[in-house]
Amino acid sequence: MAAAQELSLDNLDIIGPRHYEDNGYPHREWAYLRKHKPIFWCEYPHTDPFWAITKHADIIQISKQPNLFHNFPRLLVMPLESGMPPAEEPPFRHLLNMDPPDHGEYRSIVSSNFTPRGVSHLRAEIEDIMGKVLDDAMGRENLDFVIDISSKVPLDVIAALLGVPQKDRELLFQWTNAVIGVLDPEFQAGGDVDSTFDRARLGLFQYFINLTEERIKQPTNDITSIVANAKMNGAPMPQFEMLSYFLLLVVAGNETTRNATTGGLLAFIENPGEWDKLKKNPGLLKSAVEEIVRWTSPVIQFARTATADTEVHGQKIKKGESVCLFYPSANRDEDVFDEPNRFNISRDPNPHLAFGIGEHFCLGAHLARLELEVIFGQLLKRLEHVEQAGPIARLRSSFVGGIKHMPIKCKIAPASD
Amino acid sequence: MKVVIDLKLCEGNMRCQEAAPEVFEVREDDHSHLLLENPPERLREQIERAARLCPRQAITVGK
Repeated sequence: MAAAQELSLDNLDIIGPRHYEDNGYPHREWAYLRKHKPIFWCEYPHTDPFWAITKHADIIQISKQPNLFHNFPRLLVMPLESGMPPAEEPPFRHLLNMDPPDHGEYRSIVSSNFTPRGVSHLRAEIEDIMGKVLDDAMGRENLDFVIDISSKVPLDVIAALLGVPQKDRELLFQWTNAVIGVLDPEFQAGGDVDSTFDRARLGLFQYFINLTEERIKQPTNDITSIVANAKMNGAPMPQFEMLSYFLLLVVAGNETTRNATTGGLLAFIENPGEWDKLKKNPGLLKSAVEEIVRWTSPVIQFARTATADTEVHGQKIKKGESVCLFYPSANRDEDVFDEPNRFNISRDPNPHLAFGIGEHFCLGAHLARLELEVIFGQLLKRLEHVEQAGPIARLRSSFVGGIKHMPIKCKIAPASD
Repeated sequence: MKVVIDLKLCEGNMRCQEAAPEVFEVREDDHSHLLLENPPERLREQIERAARLCPRQAITVGK
């Protein structure tokens, strides 16, 4: 049994996609590294070596220096099981692989739409979306929580923000699954990694070529219009960057919130006392959302590349070497969180790093928080009974911690108003 | 005490206002504004907490 095996620096696996699919997050391994080797040189087949960063303080230190640690060219550590070399040129250029000063200029085009003020007017629409999702699921006792509920809300929200009509939303769903689940056979549809990703990417690009043309002719107030008509130093945004922008918004707006929702409900099923606590005191909802985000930490890692020789936590890092920031590990750091392995919805303070920090702090963080608040707020009122009805299926990915399927048995009440 | 907000980084995430409402106010322009030019020492703990919590790390606290 792997679980019984003594951990050592020679045998621990924190980046293999199959490890995540079979076991979930390697919290035991991360705890070992935080204690014994917080900056760990990691060599793994089929990917370039990297420094694994597992401590909260070190992730902050690196994230606060966007000129010393670049997002380009290595956005994340992607172990390809086939061992194929990565493409020469990245197939997109968007906020995640941009650095200062371009990053700030591109980000500021939409950032005011994602501030607490910017997202607050969406609350009624999100309530409406979640209400309909629960109405649709209401008569059934057995559900796949992912397919029937948690994947639907973020998809509808991002589609509404982008002005994508209802009839095309299934396409967004397929593309985002293929981009994030590129290593998972369920989403490869008979193709290999590269063709899976590229089919989805090109399908999405073509779709937004058409939609942006419409919005240039006739602007509306959706985000597609804002990006399509944006000026960069007086000129329109180059097409490759523009299409990449949509790729980012569609993918980032979907998978993460979906997985926080699924993982959040699972945490409540496994910790019924916390669900009861929230039922008795709905004022804890905001705090519960923060704990759900800390607990699930849907984004597992992003990487940075040192632009000069430097030092982190006493370890010398050479120019050109990669560091890989493991956010879920930071969010269980014993030096920052009391009882880090306890799901506690009244945790305060809760300075988790699930949204990152600094230059690249998650643009959609406040939208995600609002969605989770609405989703769990309605579940609290309408979910009269819930139990797990079978094992969960995890995504084969060491980038986004995904739950593909979660069978539940439940009773959903009608909306009360 | 000297407090500086880097307006190139600040985008109105509100955490500073929550941590130190006497010092920071996020306005319609999605930027945080200093309500006190030279905040008193008694607010240092709050202000340092605001700087620590700022998602974009846009706040610098001096002596």
